Amino acid sequence: MAIEASGVVMRAWPRRHLGKLFLLIGLGAALLYFALQSPVSKALLQWSPALARGFAQNIVISLVAIAIGSLLGLLVGALALSPLRGLRWPARIWVQCFRNAPWLVLIYFTTYVFPFELRIGGVYFAFPDWLKVTIGLALPASANIAEIFRGAVASIPATQWEAARSLAFTRGQIFRSIILPQCFKRMLPPWMNLYAVITMGTALASLVGVHDVIDTAQIASNTVNKTGFTVVIYLSLLALFFAYCYPISRLTQALERRYAFY
Amino acid sequence: MGHWLELFVHWASGLGLNYGFLLDAFQRGTLGQGALTTLLLCAFTIVGSLLAGVALAAMLTSGNPWLAKPARVFIEVTRNTPTLVQLYCAFLVLNMLLTQAVGAANPLTPFAWVVIVISLHKGAFHAEALRAGIEAVPGVTLEAASSLAFSKRQLLWNVQLPLALRFALPSLINNLIDLVKMTAVASAIAVGDITYAAIMIWTQSDNVLELMILILGFFGLLSFFVNCVGRLLEARLRMPGYGH
Amino acid sequence: MPSIESVGEPLVRLRDLHLSFAGNPVLKGIDLDVHRGQAVSIIGPSGSGKSTILRCITGLLQPQRGSIRVGNTDVHTLQQEAQRIELRKRVGFVFQQYNLFPHLSVLQNLVVAPRKVLGHNRSDAEKSARALLAKVRLEHKADAYPGQLSGGQQQRVAIARALAMRPELILFDEVTSALDPETVGEVLTVIRELTEEGMTCVLVTHEMRFAEEISDVVYFTENGVIVEHGSAAQIFQNPASERTRTFLRHALGDPGRRPVLANDPYLLSNLSRYSLSV
Repeated sequence: MAIEASGVVMRAWPRRHLGKLFLLIGLGAALLYFALQSPVSKALLQWSPALARGFAQNIVISLVAIAIGSLLGLLVGALALSPLRGLRWPARIWVQCFRNAPWLVLIYFTTYVFPFELRIGGVYFAFPDWLKVTIGLALPASANIAEIFRGAVASIPATQWEAARSLAFTRGQIFRSIILPQCFKRMLPPWMNLYAVITMGTALASLVGVHDVIDTAQIASNTVNKTGFTVVIYLSLLALFFAYCYPISRLTQALERRYAFY
Repeated sequence: MGHWLELFVHWASGLGLNYGFLLDAFQRGTLGQGALTTLLLCAFTIVGSLLAGVALAAMLTSGNPWLAKPARVFIEVTRNTPTLVQLYCAFLVLNMLLTQAVGAANPLTPFAWVVIVISLHKGAFHAEALRAGIEAVPGVTLEAASSLAFSKRQLLWNVQLPLALRFALPSLINNLIDLVKMTAVASAIAVGDITYAAIMIWTQSDNVLELMILILGFFGLLSFFVNCVGRLLEARLRMPGYGH
Repeated sequence: MPSIESVGEPLVRLRDLHLSFAGNPVLKGIDLDVHRGQAVSIIGPSGSGKSTILRCITGLLQPQRGSIRVGNTDVHTLQQEAQRIELRKRVGFVFQQYNLFPHLSVLQNLVVAPRKVLGHNRSDAEKSARALLAKVRLEHKADAYPGQLSGGQQQRVAIARALAMRPELILFDEVTSALDPETVGEVLTVIRELTEEGMTCVLVTHEMRFAEEISDVVYFTENGVIVEHGSAAQIFQNPASERTRTFLRHALGDPGRRPVLANDPYLLSNLSRYSLSV
């Protein structure tokens, strides 16, 4: 089945690509035309540096969140596989809690519960809102990564464990040199997918007052106060996120297909 | 009822949590109303998303490029953009245009917009699951059905769809659990769901942590309920001898 | 014993059948006759187009050239699905991979087509289904599901399912190739009984001893053409063609069974893509 399906996709590729290319060129030309014509597009051009700065903020949040989430998630995932009940249960509870909570609620949680500054050894560190949001996103991310990790380990056939054990490896050695290398390859597609989801999750930051791309768009929309501009700016928000997340999604699918053969 | 509540508040204060607002009839009412709104949102969007998912899956697998292509584009855009932005595009853009066109006659409330947006959003995910399920039905099984003189329609209803549904069910249930959590985004356009009610309360009294625990518990319970119904359905549709 | 020169019109008559997949010729002029009550075996190396011939007879594949006649139906001229459905009501098909419907119980597998396609009522359909299950010695498995049966049991249910349509003719497509050696016998016994009862059967098979024993006529195909045909005794004892002789020497030397095909398509543990969204 998998082979058939991918075969069809591959045959369809060049044709689909061509259509998209034409669409893109047409869109670009239309955009250029309107840019020189309408006041709406002039306003959009004028606001685009601010939008870009806002989007950069989203990207920063997403990158830091996936980094923290990955480290935390691997730790929690490893603990969840531990043979010691005292380590396993807290990890399981962590995963259940943060996987089943709405991301928005977690973001409110970290924003309103954490203090605005931290005191470490007599020195005060500012604790900006964007960092709180980042942690709010990292928490569910860690729970999801722990699950991805657990799933990847479980997907390694038991025969691999048996084979390694018969070669007199210890449990730790089996993990490090046999299981983990195979896991990471399997984890890559869902991990990338999660990153795309986190990036989309950064949109929620605007609700707790972080000055991100959506906040910028709202300000722009209210400042310019023209129907046409409002339409265009929100559609360009869609386009921005799509342009960033769609390639990740395509890459994820391509990787999934490639690994499906192993 | 009041007595149990008081006991709970007293017990919680022992843990350092101030649930005093639960004794205030007004705040309790706000919260209850919010919970009810969330439940309604979930009910409407679950039905709506399933309808949208079936429609999109039918378009995807119709074999007609004029139906399949737009469905594919819609699904990819939906999957790769934030729900919040989609909600803004609907409520702040489409709703604005609609209001400009028909004035006060615009029948769509913020609640309706949330139902529409989340239904379509999760519908896209359902459609993907259903399409995968339909494609997973082995060609040889369909060949067997045709060799028994089934017509295209009989084959679809007796063999292809029952199998596709069983294949897609785990994904559909996951999607629905995710949908329940997603309804929290309604608070962004001031629909009075439980999240919004909580925000209203904590801006007046400093009870963030207590409210958070309450909301998380509420959503946890809802997800648990959806999960249980899903498992029940899976058990009923299980094909003995296959799967776990 | 009916011979190949049976009098009268054959039930199945293929003439000059040509078929290619994506420009790759599979059948290159097949002539084949099956008379009523005969058991006809098609033998030959893998990939010689044997299964394709069966699929053409029941209209699952459409040849590019040549004629197929089943009874009074000219299969090669059928354009509409409805006409092919009429044909398939008369022609049973048993697959290598059994292809039972996994979501239906054994009994439901047997009654679904008679009820939906032939419009029989429930109690009649179930009664004859139970009789057929008794015939294949599986009456105690009526309420089991296909996934709970062994390969041999599933294949016997598949034969009963084909019989439930009361076909004039049954096509068997390598029905023992996917089975464990110990269950092959139980399936062959059922087929042997059918041929003894006078059911018209066309078998594609790698079980040479079995083909020799039960067949009235044997066709040897290679590379999409019929190399030779004749009575079982003639083909197996005294083949005319050097190719047939070589093939039989190898095939009778080892059982010629193909390895079990790929994994069971229903054992998909999880289809779900990571479906989180924000």
